[in-house]
Amino acid sequence: MSLSEEQVKHVARLARIQLKPEEVAQMTVHLGAVLEYMSQLNELNTDQVEPTMHVIPMTMPLREDIVRPSLPVEEALKNAPDPRDNMFGVPRIMDGGEE
Amino acid sequence: MVIHELGVNELAYRIRDKELSASDVVAAISDRIEDVEPQVQAFLHIDLEYAKAQAKRIDQLPAHELERLPLAGVPIAIKDNMTTTIMPTTAGSKILEGFMAPYNATVVNRLEAAGAIIIGKTNLDEFAMGSSTEHSAYHVTRNPWDLERVPGGSSGGSAAAVAAQMVPAALGSDTGGSIRQPASYCGVTGFKPTYGRVSRYGLIAFASSLDQIGPLTRSVDDAWLLYQVIAGHDPLDATSLTQPIEPRSAEPVQWNQLRIGIPKEYDGEGLDPRVQERYHQVLSTLEAQGAKLVEISLPHTHYAIATYYLVAPAEASSNLSRFDGVRYGFRAQGNDLLEMYERTRAEGFGPEVIRRILLGTHALSAGYYDAYYLKAQKVRTLIRQDFELAFGQVDVILTPTTPDIAFKFGEKSEDPLQMYLSDVFTVTANLAGIPGISTPAGLISGIPVGVQWLGPALQESRLLQIARGFEELWPSGPWPSLGGDL
Repeated sequence: MSLSEEQVKHVARLARIQLKPEEVAQMTVHLGAVLEYMSQLNELNTDQVEPTMHVIPMTMPLREDIVRPSLPVEEALKNAPDPRDNMFGVPRIMDGGEE
Repeated sequence: MVIHELGVNELAYRIRDKELSASDVVAAISDRIEDVEPQVQAFLHIDLEYAKAQAKRIDQLPAHELERLPLAGVPIAIKDNMTTTIMPTTAGSKILEGFMAPYNATVVNRLEAAGAIIIGKTNLDEFAMGSSTEHSAYHVTRNPWDLERVPGGSSGGSAAAVAAQMVPAALGSDTGGSIRQPASYCGVTGFKPTYGRVSRYGLIAFASSLDQIGPLTRSVDDAWLLYQVIAGHDPLDATSLTQPIEPRSAEPVQWNQLRIGIPKEYDGEGLDPRVQERYHQVLSTLEAQGAKLVEISLPHTHYAIATYYLVAPAEASSNLSRFDGVRYGFRAQGNDLLEMYERTRAEGFGPEVIRRILLGTHALSAGYYDAYYLKAQKVRTLIRQDFELAFGQVDVILTPTTPDIAFKFGEKSEDPLQMYLSDVFTVTANLAGIPGISTPAGLISGIPVGVQWLGPALQESRLLQIARGFEELWPSGPWPSLGGDL
């Protein structure tokens, strides 16, 4: 199944990745070829087949409900590009524009 | 004795016996790295000062404490998608440039607790996505056997570092063959344990239901030693298995009691005739030892690549959503939050990672989930069932590790589908969760080739016993002549 450029732009928006026009064109070709290859899975009838969610049977492990120390704030912020007042700084969300 | 030629077991033994000091070993390894690394470029970070300090600490331990450390003084390299607090962790991506993790991966802690010395972080395809290490955001790594060729991927840096004898062992991660394929291309042993055997805590996730950490070494015995140190349940990884690790079988393999499965689907179209010929030579050798070769069928193998390249990117698109310019490393400027996210990810990720995120996002998006992701997970069940049926008839399955030998730079990087096909023999083990090991089977025109042994889940001990038996039948030749002193 091939993809249109509009679909690629839509997917890029969902994935939060800005593509340049030439990248949209290139990705459309690459993804189209890969999806075309994937379409061979449709040769198989899987109506009665359960999907594999875990390869090894396992039950959901639960830990004891005990309060434990978490990562210290300064450690958590150590790699942040814009740490401010013990928080992660980001561009303004309201009112748009620069800070 | 040339120290850098010694394997893990031999180094550990000699250091414990005080025949060698850990400081001597680190000094020898430093010289070797200085000599060879400029050509091979296997590493992203090397910290020799830290290694020297660790070696000194080990040399001061009393004998009874050394006795308890199975890897005392052994230098080990770590693929740079496992977190370390002492060195940066980049996963081969610009988006994590300079990232200093606040904690060690469990495998790193376990290696250090066993006395190993972490000497550096090895190069990889960005976020472990690729089969050549050409997709690292930093530099390519060269195959020590032929510097014009790729080392394979994505653990290409780890495989090349071991093959070039810069370290006796390294850790890699295997999502679709990323330990076994570069091991085959570089002529070393690469072992992927059963899914869940080794904790993934601190491994930067690519596809969580497929990823598994394992060793790259110069012998099966060395792979076993490392495996024993890193395997076992970890409360920090909810998917890590609780089943005990079996002790290693010290007995030699009885070939005349072994049924080896030869899947007909792995022996034909797309296989380089030279690789096929070598595979058949290997089979004849085993048959001459009395092994029973049983033709088996894994009929859904044909669908493995399509299944893998839907499941893995879908999980990757979810795992990589955390890299958004807020918490780690790189951030691009944007007028608002959305623009900042979109620019950060566009500039921080390389083209192969973007391609896979888009593929995965599409496969999971409304209206396509059933047709792609769910369909692939159903076919995955059929692939698993193929193996369950096969292991009812045979003890182990033998295949070529890769359909070809190491290719030249640029040969496949422009055609993603071609690149994906080099994983065709390895991805099934990840989809089924079973263990696999690639062992060297000599050279073809001076370039290594490997064979792959696949076993039932949790039967690592048996698998390694067989691989070790093969190693004795088919010993590796000399190592690549780099640095002029081999």
